[in-house]
Amino acid sequence: MQFTLKIERWNPETEQGGLDEFTVEAPETATLLDVLDVVKDEVDGSVTYRKSCRMAVCGSCGMRIDGAAALACKTPMAPLAQEGRVPVISPMGNLPVIKDLVVDMDPFWAKFRAVKPWLEEDDQPPVKEWRVQQEELDRIMKEALCIQCGACVSECNSMQSDPEFLGPAALAKAAKFVGDVRDRDRKGRLELYNGPHGVWDCTRCYFCNERCPKGVDPRDAIAKIGAEIYSEGMLSDKAARHAQVFDVSTRATGYLLETALVPYTDPMKALDIKFAMQMARAGKVPNPLRPHRAKKLGEVRKLHKLLKTQEADARAQKRAGVSVDREEAGS
Amino acid sequence: MKQSYAYYPGCLASLSQKELDVSTRAIAAKLGMELIDIPGFTCCGAGDVHEARPEYYLHLNARILGQAEQLEQDTLLTICNVCTLNLRQADLRLKGDPELLERVNANLRDVGAAPYAGGVEVRHLLWEIAEGEGYERLKAIAEKPLVGVRIAPFYGCQILRPSKLLGFEDPDRPQSLERIIEACGAEPVDYPSKIKCCGFPIVLAREEVALGELIQPLAEARDAGADAMVTPCPLCHLSLDAWQSKAAREADMDFGMPIFHLAQLVGAAAGLSYDELLFKRHVTKTHPATDKIYAQG
Ligand code: SF4
Ligand code: SF4
Ligand code: SF4
Ligand code: SF4
Ligand code: FES
Repeated sequence: MQFTLKIERWNPETEQGGLDEFTVEAPETATLLDVLDVVKDEVDGSVTYRKSCRMAVCGSCGMRIDGAAALACKTPMAPLAQEGRVPVISPMGNLPVIKDLVVDMDPFWAKFRAVKPWLEEDDQPPVKEWRVQQEELDRIMKEALCIQCGACVSECNSMQSDPEFLGPAALAKAAKFVGDVRDRDRKGRLELYNGPHGVWDCTRCYFCNERCPKGVDPRDAIAKIGAEIYSEGMLSDKAARHAQVFDVSTRATGYLLETALVPYTDPMKALDIKFAMQMARAGKVPNPLRPHRAKKLGEVRKLHKLLKTQEADARAQKRAGVSVDREEAGS
Repeated sequence: MKQSYAYYPGCLASLSQKELDVSTRAIAAKLGMELIDIPGFTCCGAGDVHEARPEYYLHLNARILGQAEQLEQDTLLTICNVCTLNLRQADLRLKGDPELLERVNANLRDVGAAPYAGGVEVRHLLWEIAEGEGYERLKAIAEKPLVGVRIAPFYGCQILRPSKLLGFEDPDRPQSLERIIEACGAEPVDYPSKIKCCGFPIVLAREEVALGELIQPLAEARDAGADAMVTPCPLCHLSLDAWQSKAAREADMDFGMPIFHLAQLVGAAAGLSYDELLFKRHVTKTHPATDKIYAQG
């Protein structure tokens, strides 16, 4: 079968780049990686990309296909060709380009290290191995599937705006350690991830979930950390207070208390009179003294309370489930 | 398209984004969609309650779904991206896990709320009028084609991603808004950021990061020569419209970009007036575009 594709080139020595088009023959079952190999072997040996396993486990071959990051070795080419598309292959985003399709992964790894991707011990390390129940492992299995390919990071909208954001891959790893019953530094971790470029930077664009080739769902992992932070009553971040307004609003009136959102999330912002006036002129500031109230509010108030209790019980249970043999530690 | 829907405007369209609710009701009447109000609906909790208290979020949304079912409707109509994802995600989780559904229902009964049997599908207005019978009706009511008006579609995130929960169209090459713009007689304008995020969820907590995201679609739509942008989400609308001047200051650019709600675009093509569609409730003046539309008379 004939495949045509365009490759975004960058030569760091000459500092020249541009799009090169190639047409090659490859089997109908060919993946993008197979086609790149044919291009490199038969047409232009200078085309540069990373690869290793060819089976979506090593995480080397992340790149963009028409702007969407994916693994080259997991992307079949025939459907694209049949649609008549001539895909543009370009390097992943949010990472510096070294050459052609190869990006510098150093910033990616630096963020990994920053989330402390190892188990922390306390002063009572277990002598024997930890005994982890299957269900405790199941809870962090999704995050454990990550192959560190960077596809999520490539498309992260918040990272594009704040390059220091820890980002989806590192935070998915962080969620794995927050959920790992063997870890002894839960509080410290939550404080770390609650920091200025931590979980609350995420804008919920869901590109990471969409792109991840392994089903890690990093956005959902970030939300798990957010829930842990919130459940600890850690409200130092504006975003956590923002969430609290929503939470409390549902109980107070059933609707979002819009007039409470700004002053409670960020009191300084409430002094932005110009902005407030603009909103008021457009009729967008509801009367705070006569808030809209949902009917049957009693149901929601009871639900709010009931769930608070159940959430606390579930957390206590989860913690009690840590099956480390402390006695054995001493013997 | 259905004859009737359990209608969920969400809280924002009931409050500060009132023009969206009003416009939606006005076009529904024209399209022949009966919108049945859900008595006692609440906020869906947005991404905030979803993140901070996932269990409570699930119950809050199950309660809304149960209320829709009480109205003997099999489709709940949403007009907000975030509501759509929240309600669909809760719905699909509950349908896929009978044990969980039972536990949630026990709680709902406990507080005197109607349980949910799993018989409702959550669908956004966009999907109802972008294909099939709804699209035919849309074409039929678009009696005042917006000839020569260039509209840039802005999808926002949570109507496209995650596609396994939303799944109406290809999240990287969506066409529903373009189809609707065409049915309204206007000209769709293409630009790369139409599927990206506007930064709204973090605009209060991380204003700089959010504005960085917001500038991109505004600048691209302007450069592509759009008269206005249209969005299916009142939250995208709020950031594109109300935060536009801040984004402009931050970027040291001038946008002056009118932002339409999806229902306003359809309403204008269906002959509803500037006042009926409450264009005056926008923070960024819609005049350059609405003058062009209403001058055609
Ligand atoms: S959802 Fe959050 S972490 Fe994921 S890509 Fe978007 S901003 Fe980044
Ligand atoms: S979370 Fe998914 S997309 Fe991100 S690095 Fe891991 S495997 Fe790749
Ligand atoms: S998405 Fe926002 S505005 Fe819509 S109902 Fe939920 S909380 Fe309210
Ligand atoms: S674009 Fe912004 S407001 Fe719209 S759905 Fe995405 S995050 Fe929400
Ligand atoms: S080559 Fe290993 S993931 Fe593609």
